[in-house]
Amino acid sequence: MTDDIMPGAVHDRKGVVLDPRTKLLLLLMISVFSWSSIGGRAGWIILPVITLIPVILLYFSRKWKGAVISTLLFLAVNLISYTDLNKLSGGVYYIILMIVGIFGRLMPCIIMAYYLVYTTTVSEFVAAMEKMHVSEKITIPFSVIFRFFPTVREQMHFIKDAMDMRGIKIGGKHSSKYIEYRLIPLMICSVKTGDELSAASLTRCLGGSVRRTNICKIGFGFPDYVIILILIASVAASVIVRLV
Amino acid sequence: MSNENNKLNGKDLINIGVFAAIYMVIMVAISMLGFIPIFMILLDVLVPLICAIPFMLFLTRAKKFGMIWIFTILIGLLQLLTGMGPYAIITSFVFGLLADLIAKSGKYQSRSKAILATTVFSGWVWGDFIPMFVNKNYFDSLSNYADGYAESLKKLCPPWMLIVLFFAAFIAGFIGALIGQKVLKKHFEKAGIA
Repeated sequence: MTDDIMPGAVHDRKGVVLDPRTKLLLLLMISVFSWSSIGGRAGWIILPVITLIPVILLYFSRKWKGAVISTLLFLAVNLISYTDLNKLSGGVYYIILMIVGIFGRLMPCIIMAYYLVYTTTVSEFVAAMEKMHVSEKITIPFSVIFRFFPTVREQMHFIKDAMDMRGIKIGGKHSSKYIEYRLIPLMICSVKTGDELSAASLTRCLGGSVRRTNICKIGFGFPDYVIILILIASVAASVIVRLV
Repeated sequence: MSNENNKLNGKDLINIGVFAAIYMVIMVAISMLGFIPIFMILLDVLVPLICAIPFMLFLTRAKKFGMIWIFTILIGLLQLLTGMGPYAIITSFVFGLLADLIAKSGKYQSRSKAILATTVFSGWVWGDFIPMFVNKNYFDSLSNYADGYAESLKKLCPPWMLIVLFFAAFIAGFIGALIGQKVLKKHFEKAGIA
């Protein structure tokens, strides 16, 4: 369950390991490039280039399934955007337009977020946040979210199964009760689990007055510098294109 | 950290994380509808409407200044992870603070202030929709699709739509808060967790 998102312990540390700060910077840059007009006319080449970084990195981190899926998505969106489909008629054309226009912009961030979340341990993440002097008012809730997200999702599936059996599903006998009967049990059991989690963490002195130590060693290495250089180059390129 | 009552301690911070996780799971589940293009715009109403219920439950736990604000900022930051762009960070920062101040003025006890706070808090959703309207240059970059996409998007969401979305989020948030209030009474107080 927890080796799903943000693994708790350091295992499986093969391949290229990036500093979490580099990953965050990359995520922010991809998000800015895909949603704002900062890239200008150069955006159409910069975005695919920096989106390719997490796609390649997934191979280096040996996340084969995610790597293959994101490669396929990347190719699909980019191939569709650069082929001429103007001959297609009405409805199909607009659907493809919407897919490329909206999904094409979500896709880079989702791939990067997938890479960030599945290759960073909670300890690494907290260590990086501490180095950036982020207050623990942000780091503690953040790490709780990553720890808790898979649990809530898992409970949601159990509740879905239970309600399906009673005919509470879309198109079922009691579909009007769908939202209420799915949400309320989910919230009640999540809150109970959350209380237990908080009791468990407090006994381990989370939020205590003493500074927390961390076994993780993080720092910038060669791959980090390469990626930061690419990012600086792409920002520079977009500025130059804009000025010329 | 000290034991002063008005300072945030570990337990409060964990509570923020737990409720933010619940909020995000529900939001992601609703957002799956957004892959159908027309529903993308409807999310502006659906997300505040349904997510007001977990938020109202969170308000029963938030008794110190800062909890609501941090919660909202976290939701805004997590929009980066779900690929919704950087604007939500700004809106969540502003509306989170406002919601927290409103709840504070009711000493975190008042029911009507909680409904008002939820309404104001819902405004953060608007940040997710800003990029659809502001960056015209994006269409230039999609060489073959520029005209068609710009045209169909203009048809679906003309500029005044952004203002409609702004108010729609608050209205949906208000209705959601009223529903949340009923749900609190009907279920959570009975279960002893509100």
